[in-house]
Amino acid sequence: MDDFLSQLPNIDHTDIRLFAAAVNASSNGVVITDNLLPDQPIIYCNQAFEKLTGYRRNEIIGHNCRFLQSDDRNQEQRKSIREAIDQGEHCQVEIRNYKKSGEMFWNELMISPVKDHAGTVTHFIGIQNDITRRKTAESELAKEKEHLEERVVERTQDLQESEAYLASIVETIRESLVVLDEHIKVLSVNEHFCKFFKLKDSEIIGRELFSLGDNGQWDIPELKDLLLNILPHNNPFEGFELENEFPKIGRKLLVLNARQVILKGKYQDRILLAIEDITERREIEQRKEDFISIASHEMKTPLTSIKGNIQLLERRAQRNNDAAYLEGFGKTAKSIARLERLIYDLLDVSKIQSGNIEFHYTTFNFDQLVAEAVSGVQVTTQTHHLVISGAAGTEVSADYGRLEQVLINLLSNAVKYSPNGDRVKIHVSKVSNYVKVAITDAGVGIHQRDQKRIFERFYRAEKITEKFPGVGIGLYVSSQIIKEHKGTLWVESEEGKGSVFNFTIPINLNK
Amino acid sequence: MSARILICDDEQEILDITQMILEDEGYQVTSVSDSRTVEKIVETERPDILLIDLWMPGIPGDQIVRNLRCNNAVKDLPVVVVSASRAGKETAFSAGADDFLAKPYEIEALIDMVSKHLNKGQKLIASAG
Repeated sequence: MDDFLSQLPNIDHTDIRLFAAAVNASSNGVVITDNLLPDQPIIYCNQAFEKLTGYRRNEIIGHNCRFLQSDDRNQEQRKSIREAIDQGEHCQVEIRNYKKSGEMFWNELMISPVKDHAGTVTHFIGIQNDITRRKTAESELAKEKEHLEERVVERTQDLQESEAYLASIVETIRESLVVLDEHIKVLSVNEHFCKFFKLKDSEIIGRELFSLGDNGQWDIPELKDLLLNILPHNNPFEGFELENEFPKIGRKLLVLNARQVILKGKYQDRILLAIEDITERREIEQRKEDFISIASHEMKTPLTSIKGNIQLLERRAQRNNDAAYLEGFGKTAKSIARLERLIYDLLDVSKIQSGNIEFHYTTFNFDQLVAEAVSGVQVTTQTHHLVISGAAGTEVSADYGRLEQVLINLLSNAVKYSPNGDRVKIHVSKVSNYVKVAITDAGVGIHQRDQKRIFERFYRAEKITEKFPGVGIGLYVSSQIIKEHKGTLWVESEEGKGSVFNFTIPINLNK
Repeated sequence: MSARILICDDEQEILDITQMILEDEGYQVTSVSDSRTVEKIVETERPDILLIDLWMPGIPGDQIVRNLRCNNAVKDLPVVVVSASRAGKETAFSAGADDFLAKPYEIEALIDMVSKHLNKGQKLIASAG
């Protein structure tokens, strides 16, 4: 440094020393190049420059600044530097430079020419500032911004898609949908609503729901009750039935689901109303029920005649002790009993499905019920002995007739599905506040996979179908009856070894 | 003299078999398929017991039972409703019938029921006498 300073003539060395010390202490890298020497060598660098570049002073002095370059020499900024130097002008660039270690750094480089009296550029002063951290942060920010923009675009597209998707769902469903504001004004309806009620958008949107139609046909007390009184306390409300005479479409039976939006935000307090037309379905159900009821009644008439005639003939044959006839009548009686059970079962299935099955609860001795059901089935079989063990020793409150039906069904099954057996065991017990019946046969048994499904309607185990006639409703009806009594009906079985059908019912249903 | 039974049902085959069963037991049986004539026949013939169906064209069985119960001359006549409708039991009793028999019936049950109600009547007469 002193060498360099001593070369400068006519300057107060004390001042210069201070300037030099200041420059040397600067945290910016400072270099001075001699513009008059070939290849503009560096004639001065401060400590900060050494620190910044990792080069020692002796590796710097005498070199052109290009040693800070690496392979990427085609940076635009170099052109600006070149031009500034050629023109002898000031210039500021941000350029990628490389430390001695090869590590890149962003250099904020300022170049200022120093001119002599004649205006000739004698030196350039270069001030360097490592702005790598700022550049990295900037570029990350830029990347982040770009990414954000992408995400906004993506998200917007997602929203548009899902909105279109939801709209298409709303338009596709075969149910009427209405959106109301908290004052029951219609905000929107789906296409099905317009089609079903034969109304135009313009006759609906913005109007109070109760004011739709021409003559107050929508001013329905039940609908008002639902939306104004019930919904605020029971949100959402489902399955509200409503029958009303509507303009253009006549009397309709509707089922309504209503929901008020509680989510905070711009949709809060809006009311969604879904309307399903069940007029036709209800009519079909009613017709089906009527049909089954009438059909089973009609079947009972010839059955009464057949049964009466057979039993009458049987009585006469008994008086005459006519063995051959008696055998025939016995067989016929069995078939009649089966036909009769089938008719009752069909009727029950129909009733269960329509929810019209009736139960009549009385209090009775449970053991007596079992004894009567067992003796009732015993008379229908000569091959099997039905043996009761145990006892409940209690009265129960239940539907006598229905439980008898379950017992007869389970006992008849036990006999039917054990063609090679000769015994059906019935065990009765009281377990806690339940009575339990277990009916054991040594029959064909039930495969594991069928054990759960045999209680389904019309289900028949695979191998059973060929060998044993039946339609598969007895166990369904039985399980529904036991379910109604808040009990359980289940089976334990092993194929080829036999089955145990169990059921429990609470002694007192109300407790 | 054997008891006299009146049966009313719109189905001829039901009438036929019921009549045969009861005649086999030694009763005198009259059967009628037109529900509109039953009340008149009850008044003129004065049977010891009436077996009547519920669902019939003309006048439904339960209406006939109600009418009979209001008619002082025959209001004590034992009436058994015989119906294929399971819900018929309640209808029958609320109309004032003495008993209910579900179709298809066991003939033993029919015979027992008829004799039960005839005996009741006999006892009543006996105790009154």
